[in-house]
Amino acid sequence: MNLGSKNGTGAVTIKRSNKKVNQRLYAFLALVVIYIFFCFLGRNFFGIETALNILDASNYIGFMAIGVTFVIISGGIDLSLGTVAMCAAMVGGVAFRKWGLPFWVALILVLITGALFGLFNGILVAKLKLPAFIATLGTMMISIGASSIISNVQTMNFPARTEASGGWFKDVFSKLQLSNGMIIPTGAILLLVVLLVANVILTKTKIGRYTFAIGSNEEAARLSGVDVVFWKTIPYVISGFCAGLAGISFASTYTTILPGAGQGFELDAIAACFIGGASTTGGSGSVYGTIIGVFIMSCLRVGLPSMDLQPHYQKLLTGIVVIVAVLIDMSQQKKR
Amino acid sequence: MKMKKILSTLALTVVLSVALTSCATSTTPTTAGTTKVAGDATTVATTKAAGESTKAAKDIYIPVISKGLQHQFWQVVKKGAEDAAAKYGVKITFEGPSSESEIAAQVTMLDSAIAKKPDAICLAALSTDSVMDQLNKCLASKIPVIGFDSGVPGAPAGSIYANASTDNNAAGALAATSMYPAIQSMVKAATVAAPVRIAVLSQDATSESVKGRTKGFIDKMLELVKADGIASVAVIGHDMYKNDVAEKSAAVVIDVSVSATTAAADLATSASALLNKNPIAIYGSNESAANGILDGSNEGANLGKIVAVGFDAGIRQKTAVRAGYFLGSITQDPYNIGYKAVELAYQAIRGQKVANVDTGAKFYTKANIDDPSIKDLVYD
Repeated sequence: MNLGSKNGTGAVTIKRSNKKVNQRLYAFLALVVIYIFFCFLGRNFFGIETALNILDASNYIGFMAIGVTFVIISGGIDLSLGTVAMCAAMVGGVAFRKWGLPFWVALILVLITGALFGLFNGILVAKLKLPAFIATLGTMMISIGASSIISNVQTMNFPARTEASGGWFKDVFSKLQLSNGMIIPTGAILLLVVLLVANVILTKTKIGRYTFAIGSNEEAARLSGVDVVFWKTIPYVISGFCAGLAGISFASTYTTILPGAGQGFELDAIAACFIGGASTTGGSGSVYGTIIGVFIMSCLRVGLPSMDLQPHYQKLLTGIVVIVAVLIDMSQQKKR
Repeated sequence: MKMKKILSTLALTVVLSVALTSCATSTTPTTAGTTKVAGDATTVATTKAAGESTKAAKDIYIPVISKGLQHQFWQVVKKGAEDAAAKYGVKITFEGPSSESEIAAQVTMLDSAIAKKPDAICLAALSTDSVMDQLNKCLASKIPVIGFDSGVPGAPAGSIYANASTDNNAAGALAATSMYPAIQSMVKAATVAAPVRIAVLSQDATSESVKGRTKGFIDKMLELVKADGIASVAVIGHDMYKNDVAEKSAAVVIDVSVSATTAAADLATSASALLNKNPIAIYGSNESAANGILDGSNEGANLGKIVAVGFDAGIRQKTAVRAGYFLGSITQDPYNIGYKAVELAYQAIRGQKVANVDTGAKFYTKANIDDPSIKDLVYD
């Protein structure tokens, strides 16, 4: 209760800069509260090991969530994220294991595959005017099928640390253990870099401005001379590219890619956007808010087992968090 | 502003109260955990051998991480594990991802389990490669890991103290030898002009246990058929199993289908496709695959003369066996798997020498399904 009111007064002073900051502040405070909560009640929750576990569980969702933030701000939705991420990773795995390509080429193929799926979505939505929901639903199915076909329904394993070729993979994209035992969360650092870059693109460049403009009012954007077809495609390409990054991140953390996997990941990513204050109707949102949303969810995912609770409680709680977050968002919108 | 305040307070209250309510049931273990650490520090006097511990049984904590929870099979494993925990007076938690394709969820679970600094871990890995780092961490911090069900094949040397598992190849072979008498006459009569088909449905081509049962069946079947003088046997279908004999030049065709996903609907589709090709026999290499055959054949009623053999149990498969639609099924001993896993973990914690335990497999039919020796193995 105390926290709630403190939170309120803190919000007043910041309010003038951006009403969305409020939402982000709430989200951030919720994250802190949840973390502290688990520190008290979880078994050995407080500590570096658990913090690293939270980062691990956040990385791949984080990349997807950053990408889909662009799409959601542009007024669309991308349901194909998760399966595209896994399909892209599968392409990389097959390229490396079956086609015998050098590992770094395989990684580039992952990104290209992701971006191509994004471009496909973008063309369907922007050029052919298909509703984003339907277009990306179709792409979701296509990517599930494609990953099963290309892999011949077999699992692909990315290189383990001990492998001669690509043994650096986990060091670079997941965690690097130094000789003195210190662990550097390289995956989280990469996510941070992508986050900062995405924020610059969203707030400082033409891409960002037009994404917001199209999301707020597509017709107005068109009338003021924005090439809507082109600029509406871009968020999907970014989303696809980020899905590729997520595929790499997933593979570095979890190694094994299953054929046709990834369904449900997109929902976590989309939920993170809404927890972080993105609007369902487009035109607002921020990658920082989104990332906080991602961490709230992974905090629950890692924290609940530390209290000996089954992980399905995480889904239930995340559901509640999403609903409450959007309720708060709507109450703010109404007042303006 | 007021509205906002109310809502945000509400948000936190809801989250916390839900978490608190659900946590109320598990406060005891949490406190047990804290006292444990204190107790540990005072009792440890000398350098211990790997995993050896003198702490009181009630302070021992063993997370058991399964491949899933959704099948009845896992519920029986859980019961076995809980009974062993009760016998030795240790505390366990039994957890698993909500489906057997959720590798990431299982890895997160294992990470959380290790962070809780347990005394030992029982693990049925969905993918060994995915948990390499975690196993090495256990190895480094001397946490004994016991594999169960399909175990943790290919784990770093020394990390797995022992396995409590079914020999999957042997279980698959048992399915073939049990099925063979029923189809032997048809196989013997088969020619290249009038070939016979034996269908095999496999849930996936990724999990070691399913691969072993499928491979074990195919290899044994090849051996049996060839022993009866049929030289041209083709294995077709999935790349992993097929041989280089062309279907056209074979008298016996073993048709292996791997479902597109592990979803029930996809298994049913694959089963229907296999059944449409008029095989003389069909084998489903796990509970999902057997259920797929039932889904694709109106609960077995449409199987007609097709000799069907399933794997594991469950109420549907048992009904089909009782009705005679299935010749029979192979059952593992899930209770024993869970029980032995926790027992091995306890022994490892106590510094005893532990070795792999084959928990066994049996063939059950309409005739012996109610025998005392079988009854306890075939869960609903």
